[in-house]
Amino acid sequence: MRVVGRKVERKEGRAKVTGAARYVDDLRMPGMLIGRTVRAPIACGELVGIKTELGGPGFTTVDFCDIPGKNVVSLIAEDQPCLVEREIRHAEEPVFLIAHESREALLEARVSLECRPGVPVFDPLASPRSFKDILIEKGDVAKGFAEAALIVEGEYRAGLQEHVSIEPNGVIAWPENGGIAVLGSLQCPYYVHRALMTLLALPPEKVRVCQAETGGGFGGKEEYPSMLAGHAALLALKSKRPVKIVYDREEEMAATTKRHPAIVRHRTGVAKDGRLVAQDIEVILDGGAYVTLSPVVLSRACIHAAGPYRCANVRIRGRAMFTNTVPNGAFRGFGAPQTQFAGEAHMDRIAEALGEDPVKLRETNALRPGDTTATGQRMHDDCSALEVLREAVKRTRFPEKRWKWKGTGRGIGLALFYHGAGFTGSGEVKLASKAALELTERGARILTGTTEMGQGQRTTHAQIVAEELGWPYEAIEVAEVDTARVPDSGPTVASRTCMIVGGILQACAKELKAKLGRLTPRAYLKRNGPLVVTKSYEHPGDVAWNDETYRGDAYGTFAWGCEVAELNVDPDTYEARLTKFTAVVEIGKAIHPVLAAGQVEGGAAQGIGYALLEEAILRDGRMANASMTNYIIPTTVDTPTIETVILERPYRHGPFGAKGVGELPVDGAAPAIVNALRHAGADIRRIPATPERIMEALCASR
Amino acid sequence: MSASKPDGLSRRDFLGVTGALAGAGLLAGKSTAGDGDNRPAAGGLGPDPVKFGLRVNGKDHEVAAEPRATLLDVLRDSLDLTGAKKACDRGECGACTVLVDGKAVYACMMLALQARGREIRTVEGLAKGEDLHAVQAAFIEHDGYQCGFCTPGQVMATVALLEKTPSPSGDQIRAGLCGNLCRCAAYNRIFDAAAAASKAK
Amino acid sequence: MTSPFTFWDARTAEEAAALLSKKGAMALGGGVDLLGEMKEGIRAPEHIVNLRSIPGLDKIQKTDRGWRVGATALLTDIADHADLRKDLPGFAESAEAVATPQIRNQGTIGGNLAQRPRCWYYRAAEFACVKKGGKGCPAEKGENRYLAIFGDGPCHIVHPSDCAPMLVALDARLFLRGPDGARDLPIADFYELPSKNALCEFTLKPGEFIEAVEIPTALPRSTYVKIREKDSFDFAIAACAIAGKIDGDHFTDARVVLGGVAPVPWRSVTAEANLRKNTIADAVEPASNSATDGARPMSQNAWKIPMTKAAVARAIRSFLPR
Repeated sequence: MRVVGRKVERKEGRAKVTGAARYVDDLRMPGMLIGRTVRAPIACGELVGIKTELGGPGFTTVDFCDIPGKNVVSLIAEDQPCLVEREIRHAEEPVFLIAHESREALLEARVSLECRPGVPVFDPLASPRSFKDILIEKGDVAKGFAEAALIVEGEYRAGLQEHVSIEPNGVIAWPENGGIAVLGSLQCPYYVHRALMTLLALPPEKVRVCQAETGGGFGGKEEYPSMLAGHAALLALKSKRPVKIVYDREEEMAATTKRHPAIVRHRTGVAKDGRLVAQDIEVILDGGAYVTLSPVVLSRACIHAAGPYRCANVRIRGRAMFTNTVPNGAFRGFGAPQTQFAGEAHMDRIAEALGEDPVKLRETNALRPGDTTATGQRMHDDCSALEVLREAVKRTRFPEKRWKWKGTGRGIGLALFYHGAGFTGSGEVKLASKAALELTERGARILTGTTEMGQGQRTTHAQIVAEELGWPYEAIEVAEVDTARVPDSGPTVASRTCMIVGGILQACAKELKAKLGRLTPRAYLKRNGPLVVTKSYEHPGDVAWNDETYRGDAYGTFAWGCEVAELNVDPDTYEARLTKFTAVVEIGKAIHPVLAAGQVEGGAAQGIGYALLEEAILRDGRMANASMTNYIIPTTVDTPTIETVILERPYRHGPFGAKGVGELPVDGAAPAIVNALRHAGADIRRIPATPERIMEALCASR
Repeated sequence: MSASKPDGLSRRDFLGVTGALAGAGLLAGKSTAGDGDNRPAAGGLGPDPVKFGLRVNGKDHEVAAEPRATLLDVLRDSLDLTGAKKACDRGECGACTVLVDGKAVYACMMLALQARGREIRTVEGLAKGEDLHAVQAAFIEHDGYQCGFCTPGQVMATVALLEKTPSPSGDQIRAGLCGNLCRCAAYNRIFDAAAAASKAK
Repeated sequence: MTSPFTFWDARTAEEAAALLSKKGAMALGGGVDLLGEMKEGIRAPEHIVNLRSIPGLDKIQKTDRGWRVGATALLTDIADHADLRKDLPGFAESAEAVATPQIRNQGTIGGNLAQRPRCWYYRAAEFACVKKGGKGCPAEKGENRYLAIFGDGPCHIVHPSDCAPMLVALDARLFLRGPDGARDLPIADFYELPSKNALCEFTLKPGEFIEAVEIPTALPRSTYVKIREKDSFDFAIAACAIAGKIDGDHFTDARVVLGGVAPVPWRSVTAEANLRKNTIADAVEPASNSATDGARPMSQNAWKIPMTKAAVARAIRSFLPR
């Protein structure tokens, strides 16, 4: 291939290194106001009154009475208000909006909220309410346990992780054509589009949503911008002026969604020869105060909970619990990092209990083509669990280090994992995504509603199209994302952008090529006028899922990974210091190998932070460490050298065989590290594995 | 029972309570000179906007800003140099890194008045027309970024590092760039870019 | 956004002292810490007096009494000063241990010594804790993972400076300038426990500011070891500064000062005694173990005890022949 599989320059590379790329806070509009959000002072209770002392003219204020449509942030359930009416469910809940031309005047204005406190619930295990219950069953668990030679149990806990995209959430909204226009730092413009239609009672053509260059998302700009855009839009409509809201770091960290904390319990029956004969798994997620995306996060968490293993008898029960905390939501991996951390840490405990090598245990049980997962999904030829495992073991000289380092304070551990690409189950069918190609004088322009946020969609999409058309990469341009111009390609989530949307674009390119025949673009345009080819997602006939029974093909395919962590535990300070990190992934086809490896490194590093450093601490339901000094993410000196090995086993329905890659690498880092810590003598079952937790674990074992 | 927060607008609005009670300052002791002499005496600047000169990317600019304006605010708001980003506004991330007299600093934690008479360089001043600076070219070549938001700061920190240490070791690169966070974690590529740019010179 | 103020460029130390005598005046060095406090809304000076405009106040020079470092000398310039590092390696190391290159390029030694604590409650405006003139310490029953294991309250902050413990170990003197003239004192006397003054960690008379620090070269062997969670940006979980004289395999004179574990730089006399009466190799265990004698951790911070011991042990081991 000429373009796919090669290194080309990022479409926006030059703009990014010269400072020319404009993010939302870099933009101003004439007459623009700055908006701020007044938030609830308590985690639970009722709003009694609002008192304002604005201290001057020029203010626009908004409360729920100013909402022309439905006071909800429209998503899965319409339970979350855009502005509090009476009931307060968490301590960052937006109540009142205020805008002014001058930032200083805005800060000097006083707004007092009078509230009647209720009794909050912070512990998900003590919560009386579940947003969603999931049950996945395969075989007969009781029968499996009866056959087991050994039963291993364990409870694992994962903490509250914040996205910390370096660019905070931000939008500008302005009245336009009797409706509203919004420009923002967004992952999913059409989510915002739909939310604004509901909130403002506007028809689709009166709402326009555009994406500014976006400084990282990782899920943090998936559902939250619908709330934020609603706020800016309400202020803009009332003031009849453009309104910008950009969160400062504290508000960004404290008030927006985070990764669901999880409690995962495993009970596993194992035969003498190491075969898993029963897996009974319970998953409890802390959903926070509103439903947001918790049901689908729980779904992905549960589907991935049994790990990439063959086991005839599986039961997975999941619940997403209500608590009086900021709603948790999408975060790269979307539930899978939590459950695969638990599952892979548990596998090493099983190996230990059996007195068996952790690699051998995984080899015995790894899914192979023809095997079925917990939902009954049958594996095809691109099932690569064994391949990634063997490659990782070989690359890292795992057995040798495992033996040599025993008892030295050094540790090596691995995790084997998989990640389903695209929406779960029938999600892609329901989305019915579209993408389009527009013929230009020089080539073609890509039109998608999915977004670039650093992962490289502009570049990889252009490569797919260029390859299919047989044109140079430079002949393909990518349109700015503007819902007035681009079709709804579904959200930019779930590792679906390259695989699913790239696939639709490939179909567009095929059709465009056929329409052009032997004509050049210029000649075609001259003869026939403008040409836009729009295609919709076509669901492969051999991928079937049943929403009722939760059985079938949960995903079109899985990407596979094996990550290996090598570390030292400092004998004095109990700090775990990674010396090397290796990620072996099988992703179908790397459209752009350098960008794909970048996704793997970046995801691994976020997983490393998740494993060792990062935890949002809540105090009375409010984040106590909402700053980059107090919430710790890896720096240049904490991030080890990450070696990435990409294996390719084409997915039959992916563009040039590509699968999803963005989320996969997050899944394995925490368990690989925890297993390396176990090898070094520390029995860790809760992340992050901070020095004091490692200290406790080491002291307990001595 | 009823609870109220004096101000829901900002979590940091208890100035009236705490500011008055707070004790000593950065270097100076609490003044007990109760003569109420707060009138700006000759030589004092502000608190209203004042005009002053800043030399940025080799050009002299006159700007008008309140003394409380940070260098970052003035670069972004008055000079429309938006390459340096406001991401934490507390000197915690490095996205606002610019060079002042050749040294990398956090523009968010420096008053613009502190930069008078000094040579300020921002990412916008690196390329000469279409010709990218060696560090910029190396960032593209080695994919030393993803979302790009921290990139201007990373690029400037790398420029400062290489001007101080033209041929840094791997450890010197890590240490030299440790004041810049990248959540996409393009760190290993940034190191490669820094090493390549050092050789390119 | 901070509250508004009037900005003054001081031209001489005398003028700075006069300007700082104004009501609500505060001195500005690099500004990193002061601006942070102002942005959090816990500090609102009416006047800011720029000390970096005073010519020569940033000088680093060798005198007949040792090294004299002006208050506005940058931490970077201290860390990079080859001659100073030869005489006072621990001081250079402590300056280099501060935060990040950018902060060291902006931050001054004066500002480092007089920086305010990082306690989450202190830095959050909504808590009117004892350090801000309010009542009590919310950390006692709240988040105290990073707070003091020494000092016994009523405020449990840890002193955030890296240079201060090292300079206490080196027995440096601070030179202060005020409206009534200049004075100097041992740097250890500059810091006060919250039991004496909960509002502020150091003692300055109205209008006074740090003009310089003088460090004798009588203790030629010194080191600073800092343990932190992330390896840049971060403040110490525990730190240990040691300065002394070595004869063969043992210390003949030794001062051990802990950082990050008490509201002030915390000298450990018992660790010093253990260090003096053993060979260096044999001193590691007794000295590091005794360094935390008298520590009284709170609900979440007992882990700082082994961290402190580790810092002391590492510091001592650094003097062993390699």
